[in-house]
Amino acid sequence: MTDEMNRRKFLKVLGVTGGGAATLAGCSTDQVEHLIPYLVPNEDQIPGIATYYASTCRECSAGCGVHLRVREGRAVKVEGNPDHPVNRGRLCGRAQASLQGTYNPDRVRQPLARNADGQFDKISWDDALGRVAQAVSSANPDNVWFVTGNEGGSFDRFVDEWLAALGSSHRVVFEPFAHEALRHAARQVFGVDAVPSYRFEDAEYVLSLGADFLETWISPVEQARGFAASHGFHEGMGRYVHVEPRMSMTAMSADEWIAPAPGTEGLLALAMAQVILADGLGRFPTDARRLENTLASYTPDAVAARTEVPAEKILRLAREFAAVPSVALPGGAGTQHPDAHLTAAASLLLNYVAGNVGTTVVFGADQNVAGGSTYTSLRTFQETAVASAPDVLFIHGANPGYATPAAGAAFAAAQQNASLTVSFSRFVDETTAAADLILPDHDPYEQWNDYTPRVGVRSLQQPVMQPVFDTRQTGDVLLEVARQVGGLLARRLAPAGDGATYKDYLQNQWRRVQRDLGDRRPFDEFWREALQRGGVWGESPRRTMRLAASAATLTAPGWSTPEGQFTLIAYPSMSLLDGRGANRPWLQELPDPVTKMTWGSWVEIHPETADGLGIAEGDEVEVTSPDGSIRAPAYLHPGLRPDVVAVPFGQGHTAFGQYATDRGANVYRVLSAQPTEFGGVSHYAAVTVQPTGAHERMAKTEGKRRQLGRGIAQAVTLAAIHEGEAHPFHMAPAAEPPEREEHILEEVAEMQREATEYGPYAYEQTRWGMAIDLSQCTGCSACVVACSAENNVPHVGADQIRHGREMHWIRIERYFEGGENGEPLEARVLPMMCQQCGHAPCEPVCPVYAAYHTPDGLNAQVYNRCVGTRYCSNNCPYKVRYYNWFDMSTPEDPRTFAWPDPMHWLLNPDVTVRSKGVMEKCTFCVQRIRGAQHQAKLEGRALTDGEVVTACQQTCPSNAIVFGNLTDPNSAVAQLAADERGYHVLDGLNTTPAVTYLQKVRNLVEP
Amino acid sequence: MTRRVWSVLKAGGAIAVATLLVAAGAEVFRTPAQESTPTMGGYEAPVDVDTAGLPGPRQPIFYRHDIHAGQYEIDCRYCHYAAEVSFSPGLPTVASCYGCHVIVGAGNPEVQKVRDAHTNGVPIEWVEVHSLPQFVHFPHMRHVVNAELECQQCHGEIQRMPQVYQFASLKMGWCVSCHERSTYADNPERQVTTDCTACHY
Repeated sequence: MTDEMNRRKFLKVLGVTGGGAATLAGCSTDQVEHLIPYLVPNEDQIPGIATYYASTCRECSAGCGVHLRVREGRAVKVEGNPDHPVNRGRLCGRAQASLQGTYNPDRVRQPLARNADGQFDKISWDDALGRVAQAVSSANPDNVWFVTGNEGGSFDRFVDEWLAALGSSHRVVFEPFAHEALRHAARQVFGVDAVPSYRFEDAEYVLSLGADFLETWISPVEQARGFAASHGFHEGMGRYVHVEPRMSMTAMSADEWIAPAPGTEGLLALAMAQVILADGLGRFPTDARRLENTLASYTPDAVAARTEVPAEKILRLAREFAAVPSVALPGGAGTQHPDAHLTAAASLLLNYVAGNVGTTVVFGADQNVAGGSTYTSLRTFQETAVASAPDVLFIHGANPGYATPAAGAAFAAAQQNASLTVSFSRFVDETTAAADLILPDHDPYEQWNDYTPRVGVRSLQQPVMQPVFDTRQTGDVLLEVARQVGGLLARRLAPAGDGATYKDYLQNQWRRVQRDLGDRRPFDEFWREALQRGGVWGESPRRTMRLAASAATLTAPGWSTPEGQFTLIAYPSMSLLDGRGANRPWLQELPDPVTKMTWGSWVEIHPETADGLGIAEGDEVEVTSPDGSIRAPAYLHPGLRPDVVAVPFGQGHTAFGQYATDRGANVYRVLSAQPTEFGGVSHYAAVTVQPTGAHERMAKTEGKRRQLGRGIAQAVTLAAIHEGEAHPFHMAPAAEPPEREEHILEEVAEMQREATEYGPYAYEQTRWGMAIDLSQCTGCSACVVACSAENNVPHVGADQIRHGREMHWIRIERYFEGGENGEPLEARVLPMMCQQCGHAPCEPVCPVYAAYHTPDGLNAQVYNRCVGTRYCSNNCPYKVRYYNWFDMSTPEDPRTFAWPDPMHWLLNPDVTVRSKGVMEKCTFCVQRIRGAQHQAKLEGRALTDGEVVTACQQTCPSNAIVFGNLTDPNSAVAQLAADERGYHVLDGLNTTPAVTYLQKVRNLVEP
Repeated sequence: MTRRVWSVLKAGGAIAVATLLVAAGAEVFRTPAQESTPTMGGYEAPVDVDTAGLPGPRQPIFYRHDIHAGQYEIDCRYCHYAAEVSFSPGLPTVASCYGCHVIVGAGNPEVQKVRDAHTNGVPIEWVEVHSLPQFVHFPHMRHVVNAELECQQCHGEIQRMPQVYQFASLKMGWCVSCHERSTYADNPERQVTTDCTACHY
């Protein structure tokens, strides 16, 4: 595989069916297709049948287990590993898009070296390895630095051993959202340096002091599952109170959203703890009494003024919190102000006095988020590097040249000072763009590795296919460098004559794992089983916690902004995280769950504030802090305190490929480089906000913000259900038809009667249907990306979104309720996809019968028959049909081509790639239905309930979607469809949808 | 050249192809004399074949279905191993060809090509004969297992073809003509569907 042509040929060998045909739409037959069989049969692969390999998602620190669906030697879909204790088969949107990293056209395709002109030249691996070995040999070992992200597994240990053998101790672990505040608090309150596990499923009362636990905080998929178990509607469902100045996506699920003065969430928690302790409400351990003096001054009355939360409310919250099993969460990255460690400490104290530590807050089962204060260790490097130039600087899995204050300026300066910077990055991100050598690593799905999401869970990664490009696993590169450098480095890691690879190192680590588990089987057997399952896991340990002496020295958190200025909140983007997802077009196009913005940055401003400043939505504003300024369009968000503005992380890349570069603003430019007391970056800043006079039409998918009485996303209070009054709103039927149309209706009715009495429609049939429980749906949008991945849905880009031409077959609609005349603001979400109407308005208007009704109740869309009149879309009341305005599927038009090589490798071969002029839509993953039916037929049996799983249902972290046969009264979906909370959207139109929504249930306080 | 041949075949049929092949200077292809081998079903494939007169595209190796499937009566599914389980029937790997041809067929220059492919690790690029557009999903396994159709019903008398050509039109009308003969209403047992989403999705 020396040159590009050979590599491509080799990969073509892997594909037998439809080789290269994936993007060729239409029926052109004048093109010769070749069928290229395998040379040697691959026992794992049967053409046309998918093989699944277990691996681990490495998009964030949560470490969810995944199954890679591999067809003809290439991975086409990521799904959750049902056995994995972290995610139990479910995934978030970032994981669903992870293959867009694997097949990213901007991946570094081979080793690169910077030449005299500052450009990158392609070099061979031998050359690259030689250069690194040469540099390491001639370097002062103590002047070799290694910066990594949160590796958290055998590779972590490997890098440490490699550096130690070389004689260097300069390892820097940098993770932008490393929960430094929570760690600091755990040290102060309990004397342990750990991030505990939060058990939502065991709590009936959830109080979040700003943690976005359904978006990015610690382990969102696992927490969403626990939260759904606690707060989804059931007898004795939990209550959830969110305390944060901004209504985040997580806060949208709250029964009560409290927006205290910025930085005072901790004060509120301290006051609650004070009440519980003083009134003896909790089941607290006896030593909690020691806190009495510390807490004495934080009475509800004392903190009411500073938090701007009435004392009665705090009192009520404290009583509610202590009455049932509860959990208090610290702040998240979106509430990481300089006193965030005090918020976190307050949350731990509150949990302690309520007796939650050890039940819902579990130490021992510590979460793997990078240890220590990662930002301060990076600062140490930066300062040292300026004083004495590093000889060699290695960078792996981190982008500090972007994700640190001033957009990485200090790191860039330090990097400039290094004699040689070697990056192992897969992409030319900001840090790598300034490197001297790039030795691209394999993608996580192409490599051998492991990851420990939390204590007691060890998750494996295995190569699921041949590498896409000429890359090498960094572990193997470091071993080869050790061999060439010789000396102690080679003796310790790669003894002479030993062709050991990183996989051997990994297996040796796993021999130790097997020993620790007391497993006496032959190692090969243990290893094979672990690979198949995706890792090994058992019960996570629990440690009993006692208050440390320093717990009593807690002080009050606070934050103040000078008069006339605003508090800027920089919060992690649900889809892009710190910016590492910005080169995945699916994630760029995924609407933010709160603002519905895509492909850019925005500044959230309260409508009243915007009024005062003369800002309209879409006006560009300049946000200026003492450290810098950014410009972005304003989004008027009612879920925000008027004295606060908010900007998400993730955009404003100056490198990182075609999808990320020069898009939006990097909010790190306005954050202070000064580390906070807990050793992190403050995500709060005091800023001024000025309109610049520019205006843009925003690329958002938001329609109306209010439901306007249409009863689309409905909710009911728990009290109403208990009183037997869960009566969903039903839209009034349309007015009586005028007389002159009556005969037409009669004719149509007769036609419909005939159609259902003859032919295949006359028989008792399956009717596929779906039930979506809005009391479980959080709006996390994982289903949107999963649908795109399953159904080859292309991205269309910001300009097309501005024209309302987004393609997502399933979308999350977000509506605001209340928020006026003193009523509390409420947000509702509703996944909207084709409702597969029984009386579908789209069908009779299609002139070519491309839109028609299948005998099993689907509103099918025959793409090859569609001529693109768009009548169906015009007639659809749900607006769930999407038109291909441009050709996203042919490389001839690079402006709109959504699958540049090798991105088209992730296309699902079971689904037609649509071409220009074709209407497309959700058909309940009909390819999965037909696939399951084929399988059942082959096995000579009937389909069982739950056998067909749609892509959106499969990934839903909170299990809100149920799919099945509505005509089978015993099916799960039929039972849910008959639920008293069930309703159909716009049912007054007599469309008889197959999708039943179950009202959201709000557990409100009794008046 | 292949591309032109293919398009003419689609448009005009076999005779035109043959003419074009000669016109384009294709050699008159002859298989070398076969050693006398026992025949099982009595059918003996012709020894000499003039490829210029054969319908269907020229393949990189003059592989003869009439010898393998006809004269030796090797089951189709021996090579097309996935036809009973998958949408795709599967193509034999070079290793499965070599499994026999490591012994038999020595001296035959066409067999030598297979041996070379195996030795050099270079896959054989067969020209696709039966091609469906990507918006059609044809499940081989349902037709072979559930419908119990003979391969020949769609692929023709493949065991008599020295060179494979497209026997059926593979157009939708041709598919439906068969499906309609045993629709649900007429034959509830078989439940053959004519629903669009059986194939188009």
